[in-house]
Amino acid sequence: MKTFIFLIAGLICMSASAQVSKVTIQASGLTCSMCSNSINKSLKTIDFVQNVNPNIQNSSFEITFKTGSAVDFDKLKKKVEDAGFTVASFTALVNFNNVQVKANQPIKVGDKTLYILNAKDLSLNGAKQIRVLDKGFVSGKEFKKNVLATAGGGNGTYNVTI
Amino acid sequence: MKTKLLIAMLLVSLTGMAQELFVFTEPASNMAAKSIGLRLNNFIMPETYTNKTNYNLVPEIMLGVSKKLMVHGDLFFSNRNKPFSAEGASVYAKYRFISNDEVQRHFRMAAYGRYSFNNGTIDQEEINLYGRNTGYEAGIIATQLLHKVALSSGLSFTKAMDNGGNHTFIYGKPDSKAINYTLSIGKLMLPKEYTDYKQTNVNLMVEFLNQLNLGSGKYYMDVAPSVQFIFNSVARVDISYRKELTSTLFRTAADGFFVRLEYNLFNAF
Repeated sequence: MKTFIFLIAGLICMSASAQVSKVTIQASGLTCSMCSNSINKSLKTIDFVQNVNPNIQNSSFEITFKTGSAVDFDKLKKKVEDAGFTVASFTALVNFNNVQVKANQPIKVGDKTLYILNAKDLSLNGAKQIRVLDKGFVSGKEFKKNVLATAGGGNGTYNVTI
Repeated sequence: MKTKLLIAMLLVSLTGMAQELFVFTEPASNMAAKSIGLRLNNFIMPETYTNKTNYNLVPEIMLGVSKKLMVHGDLFFSNRNKPFSAEGASVYAKYRFISNDEVQRHFRMAAYGRYSFNNGTIDQEEINLYGRNTGYEAGIIATQLLHKVALSSGLSFTKAMDNGGNHTFIYGKPDSKAINYTLSIGKLMLPKEYTDYKQTNVNLMVEFLNQLNLGSGKYYMDVAPSVQFIFNSVARVDISYRKELTSTLFRTAADGFFVRLEYNLFNAF
């Protein structure tokens, strides 16, 4: 019986934390492969990162994660900045399990609170791509243009489009 | 006139399309936080008034302290005064205070400072904190990256002091201060298209290195074309020739070859 409870608990934990299966970051401020490599190596030091697949030509990085680990968006952003560059675009593939979205209401996905800016009354199921719009996750120019639902950012709260 | 034409031609031929890993100057960008760079800088400079050739070896370590701050430490060895031996050292710090990044572009600015000491003799009016003089320097740098081309300019104030070993700055206090101003242009030539980190990168650069003495009003203007190879996105070889274009300052070894070997260790600490 005990084992059974553990199993159930384990499964719940896993489904709660394995909701982000892939993140794609485009970095700005660089062209050369040595710069790209410094971002590549910086991202690879993160404990929850499984693999980084770089596209040097576009300065973009496709990142996959270790099973069962919580994906910290802020840490991914910080590692790009530590390498000396800036995030220009941040998209994540998120697995939704019958989540009801209401206009202007945040939804809870694992450890994150998401304000979906372009959604009104819809039901989310399966893998969907979201794009984070908070400061430091888009270019400075784009950040000035966007109107966010919450100034928040950080603490696991994000403004996103879907 | 000839010089101006040459400069104009170089500018025209280079603008339009990398890079900012300049040879004689530093860009406003820093290396990645927690990375270490190791360099072996070699100057092979024939003396103007003798048959001797100066060989200066400068081992250098660079540390990315944070995303905005990096420091360098240099040791100066040469055969200028006596058999090849250590003559001095230098510390350098650079702080990036503006960074406007866009995809494959940026405009950045940084401020830097250097302190050097040297025990060698002082035998020229030119002030050179990279292996000749004791003194300090403070400056600013602005760098613009436009896809495959980078442009960078620097302005600094330099003050020479007496060298160690009782070698005084013989040109007098008023002539111990100078302004350095530089313009660097770099272009990424190869590869045409990036596919992986193992591709060898080839950059062509040209740098204009100038000094104006604030006391005497004398100056020099140098040009330094370079070719740069980057291997495996971690190692770098720079080969350059520095040539005096014009000078009213007394200099003992203005022209010569420069070869740098560099290796970068990411996430080293």
